[in-house]
Amino acid sequence: MSTTITQDRHREVVDALVGLAPDGVAYVPSASIAPIINGALEAQEKGDLPLVYAVSREEEAVGLVSAYPFADKFGVIIMQDNGFGNALTALTTMAVSYHLPLLIVANTRGGLGEYNSMIHSISEPVPELLRSSNIPVFRVDRRNPAEDWGATVKEAGNHAKMTFRPVVVLMEFYDHKDAKAKA
Amino acid sequence: MKRIEALQAIVDATPDLPVVATCAATSRELASIEDRENNLYLLDAMGLAISVGTGLAQAIKDTNVSRAVVIEGDGSLLMNPGAAITAGYLAPENLVVVLLDNGVYASTASIPTQAVTIDLGRFAESVDLKVLRANNTEELAVALKQTLTEDGPWFIHARTEPGNEPGTKLLLIDPVVHGDRFRRWLTPRLSA
Repeated sequence: MSTTITQDRHREVVDALVGLAPDGVAYVPSASIAPIINGALEAQEKGDLPLVYAVSREEEAVGLVSAYPFADKFGVIIMQDNGFGNALTALTTMAVSYHLPLLIVANTRGGLGEYNSMIHSISEPVPELLRSSNIPVFRVDRRNPAEDWGATVKEAGNHAKMTFRPVVVLMEFYDHKDAKAKA
Repeated sequence: MKRIEALQAIVDATPDLPVVATCAATSRELASIEDRENNLYLLDAMGLAISVGTGLAQAIKDTNVSRAVVIEGDGSLLMNPGAAITAGYLAPENLVVVLLDNGVYASTASIPTQAVTIDLGRFAESVDLKVLRANNTEELAVALKQTLTEDGPWFIHARTEPGNEPGTKLLLIDPVVHGDRFRRWLTPRLSA
């Protein structure tokens, strides 16, 4: 069965997360990344991921996953970029300050293809907000082939471990070649 | 019971367990009793203690470290009540949350919290945490003993007097060094 470029990107990201072998994956729902969340849950069912679970807000996810490195473990957060407003105090006072590696993969909102008239107010400044908080950001979008999305996620996870800090991959799903690609 | 008396009871019950302490006066007073390597002080991560404790409980599951203990305050819990909901949802059997409820933000001018009228023990019950109540150090010691031997997730609702212990020193420590001390204490015990 053929897949769209967006579906290929979803699959590459899920495969990259599995390849990182995290000890836990916390997620906050978003329509754009629902296929990635569902892919992670399917990986858990198959035994490829040990623990995938929902949280209500992003700072909870940061608190939970930040604890893992104290036991020499590693965690991932799947979320939407407008949640970085919720997560920023936890990210800075916990993960950044204590040098705790974790990976966040987040879809972007507020850009090309966006239907919401106000979400750009938080989403547009997110990269600067994170970088000014000493949190590195890597970005993928329509110009990157699917395998590059997976490779970026995988290497961002390694980068978090190597540099002992939270690392963010921002994923912009809009693609003019795929009518089903959601902002 | 004073908060420092409650903290002493927790210290007595947890010589070999990781203890995550909420920020400000609670962490300072815990350190003033005994600055143990198994203490993890959240120096400024407001409302995050239960989340960190829940993550730690996940991380030590099926290891030789039997419990993750969290010391939380009413003001901090009210800042992020979703953390308790998530703890109830995830239900780690090895999680013990001790809520020291003095009804005020003791670290910020003792302004009253919503716990003056809201029963946080009842809240914890509603999110499927196993709740025990303690109004003095004897009851707290009994509750701690139960939570360290029977499966949770536990939530001890301990009522304490408002106010801070006079003369307690600030925790002027590097969080990286402090966190690494805790990690070095914890990791060898996971498979010991």
